[in-house]
Amino acid sequence: MQKKMDVLIVGAGPAGLSAAVEARECGLDVTVVDEQPKPGGQLLRNVEHPITQPLMDPKELKMGLDLVNRFYKSGAVYLPDTIVWGLEPHKAYCNIAGEQTLLTPSTIIIASGAMERPVPFPGWTLPGVMGAGGADILLRCGGTLTKDPGEPVVMAGNGPLLLLLACHMLELGVNIAAWLDTGNWSKRIMSAGVMPTALFDLGYMGKGLKMALKIVKGRIPIIPGVDNICAEGDGALEKVRFTVRGEERELPASVLLRHEGIIPRTHIANSMEIEHKWDNLQRCWYPLTDENGATSIDGVYIAGDGAYVHGGDVSLDKGLLAGIEAARHLGIIDDKEAAFRREPIAQRMRRIRRGRSYLDYVFAPNPKIFQCPDETLVCRCESVTAGAIRQAVRDGYTDVNSIKQFTRCGMGHCQGRMCGPGLAEIAADAAGMGVDEVGSLRIRQPFRPVSLKDYCDLNTEQA
Amino acid sequence: MMEKQVSATVNLIFEGNSVTVPAGISVAAAVLGHAHAQHTNEHPVDMTNRAPYCLMGVCFECMMEINGKRDVQSCLVEVKEGMVVNRQRNPQESK
Repeated sequence: MQKKMDVLIVGAGPAGLSAAVEARECGLDVTVVDEQPKPGGQLLRNVEHPITQPLMDPKELKMGLDLVNRFYKSGAVYLPDTIVWGLEPHKAYCNIAGEQTLLTPSTIIIASGAMERPVPFPGWTLPGVMGAGGADILLRCGGTLTKDPGEPVVMAGNGPLLLLLACHMLELGVNIAAWLDTGNWSKRIMSAGVMPTALFDLGYMGKGLKMALKIVKGRIPIIPGVDNICAEGDGALEKVRFTVRGEERELPASVLLRHEGIIPRTHIANSMEIEHKWDNLQRCWYPLTDENGATSIDGVYIAGDGAYVHGGDVSLDKGLLAGIEAARHLGIIDDKEAAFRREPIAQRMRRIRRGRSYLDYVFAPNPKIFQCPDETLVCRCESVTAGAIRQAVRDGYTDVNSIKQFTRCGMGHCQGRMCGPGLAEIAADAAGMGVDEVGSLRIRQPFRPVSLKDYCDLNTEQA
Repeated sequence: MMEKQVSATVNLIFEGNSVTVPAGISVAAAVLGHAHAQHTNEHPVDMTNRAPYCLMGVCFECMMEINGKRDVQSCLVEVKEGMVVNRQRNPQESK
């Protein structure tokens, strides 16, 4: 097994695959590792599978298959079913289909993508409650959300995945009982100011409008201005309670799908102490990168939605730019060739990003979504409540890492992936501070479970 | 570009019962979306029934016992013929 390579790409989604192809074209030795058994990441998940293909947008399917085929032909080493549990410049600790291995790349491109913003609310741990992305995955695998096709499904939240999911569910005849909209209308109205820039990318806006039209035709009951969503049931979801303009309502439901936007997955970058910045409109941390994906660590790049959430096609371009930059950094191509390769890509990317800036406002999360009663479980892994976090703040702890130490919030299996945002928002609110001021959970490797024996074996191998 | 012949379906043994599911999907998707298991594990701290939330490796709520091995993130494992899949339960305390 080849352990040294010019570039190690973590993630076989649109950005990772694209970076691999471009890096190969520049002449680099490339290895791509990915935890999933097949390439595609999330946006192109199961793109090669006949069960998934009918649900995909035909243009996206064509692009995805083309990308995957170019990747297979590129000569990059592809290691699926690989868990990266530790990453440092020039060192990647991996579990490659059961075998612990240390890879020693010259450069690294992290392309681990994004995740749905996890928002705690009462009853969110009940079976039957899922993220919109999770539901879409079930549908894309030929599954159904409920045992009996007539059972009611409620959608809730504010964000792009809801549109996509609603269209998929309508196509599959799911009984969508309601769409509870938690969005912030004043911010959406502000988006009108930036809307003219949509001219730079009319195709994308067209795609969104087509989806919106399908939804209107599908006659899904849409309830705007929803607050205080609660999932209730004995052992599993039975009904959804919520308020609209102060009035309490409830709906019977077998499944509740909550979506409040998409945020970069910063876990790996955080563990490497890469510099991050807080975006107050999107309410998320993101790694500081230049247009080519260069981070505060030399030779480590971030490409795709993991750098900032701009969408799949921009992820492809970010991947290309990172691949080129890695090649230039290693001196395999010179500055002139790098500039020549990157200019058309950078121009296209800038145009698209300008053309979508209005979306930043349309899908800006409403800070109110993090207001939840004390008994709400914020940390799903350690069962830590919002009340416990607020008590820690009253006891004088206003930094999330201290609160973690005293409440155990963030100490479970997911290492704060699911509770990090909620912990920070609730702590900041309780302390009367900005969310960035309470900090973010300090992540350390191993950032995936690994046995002590395997950890030691790998670390002593080098001694 | 698949080298192996892949059959369209696969049989799992889920909680002692044979379940037929499409090949090429994750165990979590199979158990939740096809076998309609509703919950996949018993939470080690608060003992409640839990089910996968994200289905993409982030939430760690999909941990199941697969072929005798515990704590496996079932959303990251592809279904294989004859795989024995059980809900993860807390170890019983010895009296």
